[in-house]
Amino acid sequence: MVKVRKVAAALAALAAAATTLAACGGSDGGSDPNVLRLWHYEGPDSAMGVAWNQAIKEFERTHPGVKVKFEEKGFEQIQKTAPMVLNSKDAPDLMEYNKGNATAGLLSRQGLLTDLTPEVTKRGWDKLVPAGVQVTAKYDAKGTMGGDKWFGVPNYAEYVQVYYNKDLFEKHGVKVPATFAELVSAMDQFVAKGVTPLTNAGAEYMAQQFVYQLALTRADRAWVDSYQRYTAKVNFKDPAWTYGATTFADWVKKGYIAKTSVGAKAEDAGVAFMQGKYPMMFSGSWWFGRVAAEAEFEWDTFVWPDSKMTLGSGGNLWVVPQGSKNKQLAYDFIDITMKKQIQNALGNAGGIPVAADSGAITNPQAKKLIANFNQLAGSDGLAYYPDWPVAGFYDTWVSEVQKLMNGSATPDEVLGNLQKAYDEGLPK
Amino acid sequence: MTRPADVTATSSPGTAPDRPAPAAGPVKTGGAARPRREIPYALFLVPGGLLLLAVIIVPFVMNAAISLTEWPGVGDPKFVGLDNYTELAGDAEFWASFRHNIAVTLAMAVIPTFIGLVLAAGLFDYIGKRFGPRTAAFLRACIYLPQVLPIAVAGIVWSWILAPEDGALNALLGGAGLESLQQDWLGDPGRALYSVMGVMVWVQIGFPLVIFMSGLQRVDPALHEAAEIDGASWWRRFWHVTIPQIRPEIFVSLLWCTIASLKAFAFIYVLTKGGPGGATSVPSYYSFENFFDNTRVGYGAAVATVLALIIIALTVVFLRRQSKGEEG
Repeated sequence: MVKVRKVAAALAALAAAATTLAACGGSDGGSDPNVLRLWHYEGPDSAMGVAWNQAIKEFERTHPGVKVKFEEKGFEQIQKTAPMVLNSKDAPDLMEYNKGNATAGLLSRQGLLTDLTPEVTKRGWDKLVPAGVQVTAKYDAKGTMGGDKWFGVPNYAEYVQVYYNKDLFEKHGVKVPATFAELVSAMDQFVAKGVTPLTNAGAEYMAQQFVYQLALTRADRAWVDSYQRYTAKVNFKDPAWTYGATTFADWVKKGYIAKTSVGAKAEDAGVAFMQGKYPMMFSGSWWFGRVAAEAEFEWDTFVWPDSKMTLGSGGNLWVVPQGSKNKQLAYDFIDITMKKQIQNALGNAGGIPVAADSGAITNPQAKKLIANFNQLAGSDGLAYYPDWPVAGFYDTWVSEVQKLMNGSATPDEVLGNLQKAYDEGLPK
Repeated sequence: MTRPADVTATSSPGTAPDRPAPAAGPVKTGGAARPRREIPYALFLVPGGLLLLAVIIVPFVMNAAISLTEWPGVGDPKFVGLDNYTELAGDAEFWASFRHNIAVTLAMAVIPTFIGLVLAAGLFDYIGKRFGPRTAAFLRACIYLPQVLPIAVAGIVWSWILAPEDGALNALLGGAGLESLQQDWLGDPGRALYSVMGVMVWVQIGFPLVIFMSGLQRVDPALHEAAEIDGASWWRRFWHVTIPQIRPEIFVSLLWCTIASLKAFAFIYVLTKGGPGGATSVPSYYSFENFFDNTRVGYGAAVATVLALIIIALTVVFLRRQSKGEEG
């Protein structure tokens, strides 16, 4: 018996030692007051990446002795692990994060993000960010966007538009559409000539954005708010949703969208457009810089015709985790990204700045991009994105729209499934 | 076959812990010697035991505990009893993912084991004897190569190969004048699962092949020679001599690959993310979706617990059948 006790004691001691060792394994996060730990997921060549790199240099210049410890993360990486990271001692001081109820809203509700409201008013950021862009930065106690407290700061904006290949339009003698009827007519002409007019990615966001945009042509602000901000009960069988789903399914049947794009990813679709295989791509301003750099044909853009509402919003947010050790440094960094010089750099690199000098944007295509956005934001036309309202809705959308494309479910069934997932996911 | 326990008992009489103490002789000496030997043996188990506790048992118990809660991943979990399991029982998506897992088990365990067996016998009996063991070893290494590749890399390469436009497979079919056979391999719900299965078979074959080739080396050549002298064809020798002789390896391969198939996640994540329209979703991916995308950690934990219990049950059944086979 004595021996058994000794063995048990040895086991317990080893277990305790293992636990202690495990506890020693993690770092204590960013407790150094002279280090700003910063995470973002913008590629170094993107407009935001260019601007944030410039901001890091400016920050280190204006904060002698303080280093920015930047860690480049992937969008998916932050998206999937943010709640756990922010709930641990490894949280950074400042982080870029996705906006919307299911992301920044959820984290704010869980108390993982710092309420930035006093800082926003003190530093005047609320005067710089347009009202339409502010919606995704402010959340209420339930984590619903458009609330009363700032939990993030967007320094840029984005929206979805049609990129078109001028050379292909000219080659096939098709007029660039200015109305929805002309858009349909243009697509018919391309199909008649054996050309699929729209590039698409069924395995990622592009396909669902078509359905949402088509629904938006029959929608208004109240409809968007009820869907995105739960201001009223949402009925997925209403005329707008029904029109969106049935028209999209019809477009696949008519050949406006390739049936073979069900399994395609956004990257495949974007590359195919940039290779000149499709006359049009309906996607976000986040493609702008890349199309400008890679497309070897004449191209231009237009906003979706005959629709008051279009997909768009403020850009991703700078959020300050509740566990940040150097909040003042984080606020200082955000302040620098709001300065004219950084905002102008962002605009000239193909982004949509929120506080740039209009005269300092010299690239004509960038000027048009920004002007179109300003017009949308000014007319209260930003409708956000279809996957925002509830957690996990993105995957539901992908799955349901794939069914719509390959005909394994009717528009009515798809809308029913979306309704079920939406209702189950609403915050309780 | 001699069991290890019998060997110990025979070679070291009186030292096995379960053997009674000698009835006669110097009791004092025997009684003092035995515990001294037992404790060092127990200490050998300590590192493995601790690892098992830290890596398997504690996380499993924690996961099972979380599965009884409603929890978004942070904050306080809310105890809901067996609600998650009740919901799971009626969740069509969950059961569909299990049906897909049967196909995945075919692709990762049954088909590779069968092909691996035939290939191993071919390499051992034909290539090895006719072209030399080096050629056989080279071919074995080539077939094993996909096992060395990270699944994410293999998955991305296959997603390029299977891409509907510009994909190598469709380009190959087009080049051969077989345009009618071109497909959206990963986007068509009727084909996506088969396409994923094809990739899984390609990756998995190397594992049973290597196991079987080493197993074949311990088969007494006299058995094959005797069968050959008796006029048995290659196929009859394969069926009546090779397979019974390497049955333990077949069990190991099937067990290992079946467990791997139940945990299959990376292929699905990289190639299809469960799509199109849930056509390739499997329980491990469904659990992941609930954990991270839907932030339904309790429900995801319930899926993971059910999966773990199924894996444990299957392992027990396999191992018991294996030991019965060996005893027989």
